Amino acid sequence: MIADLEEIKGVTLETIYETSEGKLILTCIQCGTCVGTCPHGEYMKYPPRRIIEMLLHGLADKVSDTDSMLKCVNCYACMAKCPRGIHLTEVLLQLIKEQTILKLPTLPAELQKALENSYRYGNPMGESGRKRANWVATSKYPVRILSQNPGPVDVLWFVESYPAYYPRGQDTCRAIAKIFNRLEIDFAILGNEERSAGECGLLAWETGLAEALIDYNISILGKYTFNKIVTSDPHALDAFNYRYRMYGFKKPVYHIIPFLMPYYDKLKSMLTRPLNYSVTYHDSCCLGRHNGFFDEPRALLNAIPGIKLVEMFHHRINSICCGGGGGGMWLDTYFKSQNMERLSDIRIREAIATGADILAVGCPYEIPRFEDALKVAGYENKMVVKDIVELLSESMED
Amino acid sequence: MMENKSNGNGQKEWQPKIVAFFCNWCTYTAADSAGVSRIKYAPNIRIIRVMCSGRVDPQFILDSFAKGADGVLIGGCHPGDCHYQEGNYKCLRRFRLLQRVINSFGIEPERLRLEWISASEADRVRVVVNEMVNQVKALGPLALPQKYEELKKEIEHHPVTSEIKEE
Amino acid sequence: MTNQGNNKDIRIGFYICHCGTNIASTVDVQKVVEFASKLPKVVVSRDYKYMCSDPGQELIQKDIKELGLNRIVVAACSPFLHEKTFRNASSQAGLNQFYFQMVNTREQNSWVHLDPYASTEKAIDLVRAAIYRVVYHKPLEQKRVPIHPDVLVVGGGIAGIHAALTLANAGKKVYLVEREPSIGGHMAMFDKTFPTLDCAACILTPKMTAVKNHPNITLWTYSEVIGVDGYVGNFKVKVRRKPRYINEDLCIGCLDCIEACVYKEGRFYDEFNLGLSKRKPVYIPFPQAVPLLVVIDPETCIQFKSGKCKQTCVEVCEPNAIDFTQKERIEEIEVGTIIIATGFQTFDPKKIPYYGYGTYPNVYTALEVERLINASGPTQGQIVLRDGTRPKSIAIIHCVGSRDKNTNQWCSRVCCLYSIKLAHLLKERTEAEIYNFYIDIRTPGKMMDEFFIRMKEEGIKFIRGRVADIYPDTSNGCCGKLVVKAEDTLVGEIIKVPVDMVVLSIGLEPRADAQEIRRMFNITCSTEGFYIERHPKLAPVNTFTDGIFLAGCCQGPKDIPDTVAQAGAAAAEALTLIDTGYIEIEPNTAFVLEDDCSGCKSCIPLCPYTAISFLEDKKKAFINEVLCKGCGTCVAACPSGSIVQNLFEDEEIFSEIVGVLNYTYHEEEV
Repeated sequence: MIADLEEIKGVTLETIYETSEGKLILTCIQCGTCVGTCPHGEYMKYPPRRIIEMLLHGLADKVSDTDSMLKCVNCYACMAKCPRGIHLTEVLLQLIKEQTILKLPTLPAELQKALENSYRYGNPMGESGRKRANWVATSKYPVRILSQNPGPVDVLWFVESYPAYYPRGQDTCRAIAKIFNRLEIDFAILGNEERSAGECGLLAWETGLAEALIDYNISILGKYTFNKIVTSDPHALDAFNYRYRMYGFKKPVYHIIPFLMPYYDKLKSMLTRPLNYSVTYHDSCCLGRHNGFFDEPRALLNAIPGIKLVEMFHHRINSICCGGGGGGMWLDTYFKSQNMERLSDIRIREAIATGADILAVGCPYEIPRFEDALKVAGYENKMVVKDIVELLSESMED
Repeated sequence: MMENKSNGNGQKEWQPKIVAFFCNWCTYTAADSAGVSRIKYAPNIRIIRVMCSGRVDPQFILDSFAKGADGVLIGGCHPGDCHYQEGNYKCLRRFRLLQRVINSFGIEPERLRLEWISASEADRVRVVVNEMVNQVKALGPLALPQKYEELKKEIEHHPVTSEIKEE
Repeated sequence: MTNQGNNKDIRIGFYICHCGTNIASTVDVQKVVEFASKLPKVVVSRDYKYMCSDPGQELIQKDIKELGLNRIVVAACSPFLHEKTFRNASSQAGLNQFYFQMVNTREQNSWVHLDPYASTEKAIDLVRAAIYRVVYHKPLEQKRVPIHPDVLVVGGGIAGIHAALTLANAGKKVYLVEREPSIGGHMAMFDKTFPTLDCAACILTPKMTAVKNHPNITLWTYSEVIGVDGYVGNFKVKVRRKPRYINEDLCIGCLDCIEACVYKEGRFYDEFNLGLSKRKPVYIPFPQAVPLLVVIDPETCIQFKSGKCKQTCVEVCEPNAIDFTQKERIEEIEVGTIIIATGFQTFDPKKIPYYGYGTYPNVYTALEVERLINASGPTQGQIVLRDGTRPKSIAIIHCVGSRDKNTNQWCSRVCCLYSIKLAHLLKERTEAEIYNFYIDIRTPGKMMDEFFIRMKEEGIKFIRGRVADIYPDTSNGCCGKLVVKAEDTLVGEIIKVPVDMVVLSIGLEPRADAQEIRRMFNITCSTEGFYIERHPKLAPVNTFTDGIFLAGCCQGPKDIPDTVAQAGAAAAEALTLIDTGYIEIEPNTAFVLEDDCSGCKSCIPLCPYTAISFLEDKKKAFINEVLCKGCGTCVAACPSGSIVQNLFEDEEIFSEIVGVLNYTYHEEEV
């Protein structure tokens, strides 16, 4: 379901019909599946189906005059269910978004700030770049930092901003450090040299910013010798696999969950502490719908003794977005001003309905979003949000 | 002559000529079906119909190269689907041998291609023909008849051979 | 050219067809005509708007007579379409029909290329090849193959039933082979049929009984074709007859054994009712089954599983028909023609997880609902959900597993109409609110759109939008309803409709074993698995294999009237062959030039038909013309070049190569 990267490289609304993607757009049967499945479809003046028809009628300008595409959270639901196989999220919607942002008189303040921060500090929070590797000091297990110890390494762990700075994210970092050490994986991080990969959704909005981050990271990565990149952020995974590739980046990039699968037997033998919880797993949009990793996170959870996995109504391909993608992370205030219910609030109700003790996740955006949603639902004492790597590390006796 | 196709700039772009032997039941039918579906592909191919890819005599292929083909394509039914049970396997055996033979003659093995295309795979005709045309274009003209001509002249005017001739 | 001197008396006529604008708009017809006229031995070179038309053919015939032509080349469409036409035309003018050669200028040229210059060049090359080739053509006689008058019909659905009856009524002996224990196929599962709403059983069961009682029909149910040998006119077919563990000759269909079974209630998945009811290990698929013979399922019968059953069924069976030792039997039959009517299977909606089939009990397939509605079905026609309640609101979802690149791309053609029919029947029985979610309503055919409009008048709701999500209603006071979410594309609003029951209008797809069946019968099928007809318009029930015909949904989704029409057509095609008594086939067989044969025997093991033998006295190979199918594999393998294939002689193909490459011989080579 991934668009041909060579085909869509540098495509614009004007040149789209010259690509295979444009030919797919011509085959749209206007069935409305995309709109029906869009978590924000109800709030868009021009939801995906209408965008296609407007484009076909030469009226795409009218779409980017509205804020419709600002509300797209890059959840890939429309693309996953489209009976014509149109790569909406990857191609057309990005192009409309770009135009929308260009035309907006003012960008929503929160988003504006996140973009500026990413540009100035290399992370959307505006934290100092020199503090990026501070968490390493809190890890019980050693973490090699390449700038200090630049020899060749097998796995370059791209930590990303949320895990590096956000306290709950740092929990996941410590968990990964433990897992890597226990599995005897030869790994290292970039440390303070790392900057945000520039999540793929965001990239198309701000081509300038995206290119700055991509150029920077590619040049830093070029300094070191490594075989592959592993990251715990599915958004970074997509940034590398679908955007960096267009700029000549060639190394294989894995998300931590599928990366661990070849170590399954070894890992399972180390999972000795039973965690007697009922767990429900929220499929990350990037990891699940976009990259097709549905079975792997469940397999890892099932490897933990004592865990009972229960499913929400919407799971796997039909999962509901947490609302953090495509810039949604920094648009909560804007969405609230539009009287839109937060997707994380909708999603958490389904999680609560399962009666599970733990909501397991595989994306760093999801921990803060769902912890917040639990508070809103008044449920913070009854359910906790944990990354799968945290659960694995917990079950691994020291 | 194909070789002199204008590319619009007044310059002549060389166009390869590819002789194809398609079996009646699968690949020839697929090529017909491509027509019915109006699928477009490169016009460099000249299809000769045989009942079965098993009928493709190695001599047909060598003769095609010798008489000026830049590439030869054989199309048959998928393994197990041969209208005559196993003619396509016989073809495959000869094909493997022939690839080695032409290679030893200095003909790049990429100029000879065998493809299984079933009657339903009309689009596969397009893909294979276009691929092959591009591949052969990249290799450039084979032009064996011209080469023979030159060789002959060389032999005739070679001091030693011409002497022998005269004697 | 080689051998020029030997062919002084050859007079070639060349004709190119415009095919309206199909050829002429891409190929420069005048240029080709002019080119051909200059080739050696070409006496006349002409073009005509439609060569296949009567005036076109007459043009050739007139030239043959007036100009003394003895070779004809026509550049037009594919030889598959009109080679026969032009051969006949030549033959009517007194020329041997094999002095003809066709150039494929439409399917393989004008329709597939855009550049008129390149297209014309290609046409010229191929015309040159054909004109060089035709010089070598020989006068041949067509081979006549006698047609065995018996017919095999594979599949006992409405298509197979209709074809078998048509043939049997015409006095032909028919073998009807059905895989299931009863004939009737999918149609037997339906309640009423659109658009007339007549009951499927009422129109089908009389035909089923007629099959059973027809003296010309040998009905083998619970049987499968496992091997096919031979060729048109003379097929040898192997049929496996699975054991029912009931002596068919003794069973009188009293069903006492079912009553007496140690299982007091049905316990096992009932195939005919799609699991909506349970059956016993000894059962009949449905009350109107034909033949009315019970079947014992060894997978579930205690006697088979443990050998320790009280065998109450045996006790009660007066005719002593139960036979636990029955073995499968292989029957071998000879037939001249075969009709394939193997039907379809329905799409498995579990492949679209967001429609919740298999997860939410109140999501049904349309076929399950057919059984629910049916008076002899699992609920005796009561529309009740799995918990026994009657639905007050029902969503019918169209195009499930149709028109979708993620599943099946084709339109299944019948779903719109059966959905509308089910909407009517469900409304009639339950007075529920019915919502049809559709992408496009397709109602072609006689009285079909009228039927749709009538149903709209009944108040059935139609919402244009493909359903994107189905999930349980968890709103306050939650009631076990399912929410159907879609965009109403005509209104431009996202709607969430809570309903009690969801019906998935699943599409039709080829049978899972379509590929194996295709291989066995040596016919072709599309990538998705529907069998390919010889020509979509002009030979819709023929296959590329002579003597094998198609009927019903195995060729593509279609409704009952079309299926029956096609079955009739297939029967008529078979009858034509049988009543003619023979078929003329291409004389493309191979023969050995004895003088050249070195007796090396390399050809002998290559022939898949064992047509080649070795004459010990002469030490030469010999090809039995009757057995030879004309593949030419032996010809290509003969090291001494002593095997010749008629119509595909080496000289003919070499001259084609010379022609397409426009190779010119130098004097010293000749």
